[in-house]
Amino acid sequence: MSKNTNDNCDRHEMLISYLYDEISNGDRLEIEAHLKDCLACSGELAGFRSVRNKLQQWQVDELPGIRVVSTARESPRRLMDVLRELFDLSPLWVKAVAGLVTAVLVLAVLGTHIGVGRDGVVVNLDLLRRSGPGDTSTHDRSGEEFRAQVKSLVDDMILESERRQQNETRAQLVNLESQLRDSHSADLAKILTRIHEQRTMLHTLERDIDRREGLDLTDILFSSTVGGEGGAPASQSGSD
Amino acid sequence: LELSDSQIIERTLNGEPDAFNVLVRRWERQIYGLTLRLLGRDEEARDATQETFLSAYRNLPKFRGEAKFSSWIYRIALNICNTKLKSRSRVIISLEQEREMSGFELQAETEDLGSPIHRQQVARAVRRALQGLPSEMRQVIVMKEYDGLKFAEIAEILGIPLSTVKTRMYTGLAELRKRLEHLRDAM
Repeated sequence: MSKNTNDNCDRHEMLISYLYDEISNGDRLEIEAHLKDCLACSGELAGFRSVRNKLQQWQVDELPGIRVVSTARESPRRLMDVLRELFDLSPLWVKAVAGLVTAVLVLAVLGTHIGVGRDGVVVNLDLLRRSGPGDTSTHDRSGEEFRAQVKSLVDDMILESERRQQNETRAQLVNLESQLRDSHSADLAKILTRIHEQRTMLHTLERDIDRREGLDLTDILFSSTVGGEGGAPASQSGSD
Repeated sequence: LELSDSQIIERTLNGEPDAFNVLVRRWERQIYGLTLRLLGRDEEARDATQETFLSAYRNLPKFRGEAKFSSWIYRIALNICNTKLKSRSRVIISLEQEREMSGFELQAETEDLGSPIHRQQVARAVRRALQGLPSEMRQVIVMKEYDGLKFAEIAEILGIPLSTVKTRMYTGLAELRKRLEHLRDAM
């Protein structure tokens, strides 16, 4: 019985299903019977198995290290967390003022009397004291003086903080400028080196061209048989 | 107990964005493998993988769960790869060019079959041969050979009939057979 060698066998789909073992039992029996008689299909099947074998040699083992930023749907943060974060990010003077204000508020709640007089700052820690009607004017006066003292203290702190920040910024700028200058110098040096190299190469090429133009046909023929391309002696091409 | 993809999606949509990272860890290898084999360039494949997961995350509310998550994310990855491939100048490498370029791979004849050097040379040849195929054939071959998807799944992902998938597979393999016939089989 002669075997089919016709390449136009139209069982491509069935052959592919059989190759990947995605075939019904009926079709499997049919294609197996066909493969016994069809050289074209059996050769194709062997070729495809070989291709599959080769394809499996390309394996990808590394991971891309993907990070999906998930800020879009973050759960709502608590007010305290936000305040704490804000406080952490605040400059030092804000923290100091906040601390001072808190302390004053606490002391005020406790009924503490703070006054500034001839004896300096006087603090009377009198827990839950309630002043009588006759003390009002004294309290008002000492309160104003205290407010003025606090304001002056806070102003000084703000000024000091601003001065410090300005100094830090200035130092950073100087540092940055110096880094930039260094970087520019390095770049410039690289460019100069490259220009020098290019110039040397150009000189060599010019000399080579001049030399070739000066040679007649006999020289060229003679030099190509004796010294290779151009026939220039090493001392000549590298003399400069 | 390992959560299913749909359970993770549910958690993500219910306000646990970190849960999505579990899905990323679970699928990044497959998606990176797919994009690398379709695009053929490492950096581009990394970008495509990143874009795939970002797109999936943003569009997660639209995922209805009718299809499997894997099919859905494969579809996203394929779309991103197609966009990237379209933006490139269209260069299909002919079989003759392929043979010229792969001349050095004949060195593989001198190497032991199955040796790391031989495997590398075959892998390089495979990479180039795949890049020489039209992308519609490459997609089918990559999803079948490297991701082990069923033909029906590939048909669903690509939105084409099953018979078309098999035809593309047949044509693609026949083309690869010609491009890789100079290499011996590693046993």
